[in-house]
Amino acid sequence: MKKVSVVFFALAIFFVGFVFAEEVFTLEQPAFITSAGQSPGALQMTVVCKMVKLDYTFEKLMTADDFDPQAYNCAIFVVGASGKGLGAAGIDIDEETARVVALAQKAKDNGLPIVLTHLEGAARRGASSDLLFNELSPFADALFIKEESDAADQMFSNIAEEKEIPIFFFEKTADLKNVISEVFGL
Amino acid sequence: MRKLFVLLVVSLLMVSFGFAVYSAPVVASSKGVVAAANSYAAEIGAQVLEMGGNAVDAAVAISLALGVAEPYASGLGGEGYCVITLANGEKYAIDFRSKSPSATTYEQLEKDFATLSSRVQEDEAGNKYYPIQYNAKGACVPGVLAGIEAALDLAGTMDFSDLIEPSISLAENGMVVNETFAGVVSDAYDKVLNNAPNFLNEGFAWETGDIFTNPDLAETYKHLQKTGPSDFYNGELAEKIDAFMKEKNGYITKEDLANYEAIVREPLEGTYRGYDLYVPYPPVSGPQVLAVLNILENYNLSNFTWDDPLAVHIIQQALVLEDVDRRSFISDPDFYDLPTEGFVSKEYAKTRMMNIDLSKAIDPNTYNDYLGNAEDYVDGESYVDVMLSEAEKAALQTDDIYEHPSTTHFSVIDQWGNAVAWTQTISSFFGTSEYMDGFFFNNEMYNFSSNKSSVLALEPNMRPRTTICPTIVQKDGKVRWIIGTPGGGRIVSTIIQLLVDVIDFNMSIDEAVATPKFVGYSSYKDLTIEGGYPESTLAFLSDILGHDVNEYGYPDLFFGGPNIISVAEDGMAVGAGSIRRDGAAAAPEL
Repeated sequence: MKKVSVVFFALAIFFVGFVFAEEVFTLEQPAFITSAGQSPGALQMTVVCKMVKLDYTFEKLMTADDFDPQAYNCAIFVVGASGKGLGAAGIDIDEETARVVALAQKAKDNGLPIVLTHLEGAARRGASSDLLFNELSPFADALFIKEESDAADQMFSNIAEEKEIPIFFFEKTADLKNVISEVFGL
Repeated sequence: MRKLFVLLVVSLLMVSFGFAVYSAPVVASSKGVVAAANSYAAEIGAQVLEMGGNAVDAAVAISLALGVAEPYASGLGGEGYCVITLANGEKYAIDFRSKSPSATTYEQLEKDFATLSSRVQEDEAGNKYYPIQYNAKGACVPGVLAGIEAALDLAGTMDFSDLIEPSISLAENGMVVNETFAGVVSDAYDKVLNNAPNFLNEGFAWETGDIFTNPDLAETYKHLQKTGPSDFYNGELAEKIDAFMKEKNGYITKEDLANYEAIVREPLEGTYRGYDLYVPYPPVSGPQVLAVLNILENYNLSNFTWDDPLAVHIIQQALVLEDVDRRSFISDPDFYDLPTEGFVSKEYAKTRMMNIDLSKAIDPNTYNDYLGNAEDYVDGESYVDVMLSEAEKAALQTDDIYEHPSTTHFSVIDQWGNAVAWTQTISSFFGTSEYMDGFFFNNEMYNFSSNKSSVLALEPNMRPRTTICPTIVQKDGKVRWIIGTPGGGRIVSTIIQLLVDVIDFNMSIDEAVATPKFVGYSSYKDLTIEGGYPESTLAFLSDILGHDVNEYGYPDLFFGGPNIISVAEDGMAVGAGSIRRDGAAAAPEL
């Protein structure tokens, strides 16, 4: 009986620990935010962060060379490719992909947790946006995804499942406030 | 839940007032039809027809409703042009284009460190001059309400106060945001956040399925309902605009507003294969549309299919040639002596046709060498006489002005056969993005040229050029088609293809709207073409004819959003809304 109790207790600890690891994903301030694709979604992300009073820095064209990982406790990449945005920045999708991958690599090398978010819905799901997301997903520790973005093909759900990382869904962009508040403990 | 509630309220209101209308992408009716870029606006127009209003009444109601439903594309801060043909034979073209404020000169811009260019300019002394595209300096004096007043004076039967009522309800009760609305707001989020945060949904972009209300615009419309449209030019609203512009360092003054007038003309007339076309005069693209059709009339296009590469080649080259002409021959006729009669002469078109090589595309780098000599045809000269006299070509003034996929067009016909083709705009989506009392100010100043020797050189009180072209086609005095589209530099290409599709290829209007489009525009060095053409057509255009083919997806809003109507000989009208912009047709129930 005692043996069974010990096994049960051990299993319980393992199970609770597993559930704990699954459910409690947390981040610490200050956060670094950048765009991946130069769509206006990154700007919306900053509005969310202002509303929940998150300590953050937003640099939409930050390069790995200029990035100081010691100044932050996490990095958030807001993915969404915009031809207009890339054009205004004077870069093409290949240059943008190279920039964000190098940036993510530096963040990862310095131990920063990395979040990828897609908050502009199905309208911002195109070949270029998906390319950026897939290039960045190996670095991701969590995903913040608008439900509508994932509805048609579950691409984000599948990535989260394959990488065994948490995925946080929200219905409207304004609902992202709840996700940010939850993970940052605000 | 709120979405359901709004739909229920709107449905109950329509039933309780007895305005039984229906809308769909394609609608047929003998009691009149409306086709517009938004189903709410189309239904409001159909309600006016159901109430016994005529096409002009419906057009006014739709114009105001689009200010609510598509605030990013048109509205009180905008302008436009409409063509009206009445069942009694009268025809009107109302120019309610915006005009430059009286203070705007190159010297004043320089003094204000401002430029018409889209990029920051720097002079030799190191002074920087900043673009005015997205600030109050970029706004011209709006013309929409003057156009509405002129249209009602000419042929309206209902009171303005009744026609604005449904739009007040729409602005107060709200509408369900569609994909086009959400996409346009999302794309312009940064500039709207900067200049018009109150327009946003608590700081965020409006999303598909949200309920969009505009209480500020509802209040503005209620004010206009009491005072009439002229208040915008001479009343309280004029004072508010004056104060707003002073605060924002814009150029529009209450004197500019008081001096603004819509111009009523007869439409410019042309023919194509036995049909009569009624289009606007300069400074918009009516003459260019007729000039392209005059070239195409010399080819037997009905021997081709819509996707035949040779047909695409002929049409595209004709479009390019007349776009080169447009840049020198279309401007404000009050400021320039334009060769409009020559530009639309069928004799002149024969000389333009001679530039089209059926086996090879014109080298895009030489487009500017193909400016025609329309001045030599203004008195009906024959091309044989003119060419034998070897008239010298005028020097080409090129203006490389970017044109946006914004704007909106709607078409209306009533049960009596009165027809309206109406295109209105605030230039770019969201115009300057300067936002006052629920509406955005246009950024038409951007359509003037920084080239001081151009026909688009900035002058105070001048109307800038745009490519819009609301068009009515008649046969034997009866309306057959009402056509128009937004789409910036693609407008003329899309209108020409719609006309060729229905006249030469005998398509129904929904087929014509759906058929993939292409562009002939001298600013584009490639052949921009919507997806859907056969691979063999694209390969022939590229490999045999030498076009640099640039294929887009399908459907793509870039190619415009035509909302058009056809009328059969028995009076049955069919309306088709744009598939590229969530457009709709609507009609009173039979």
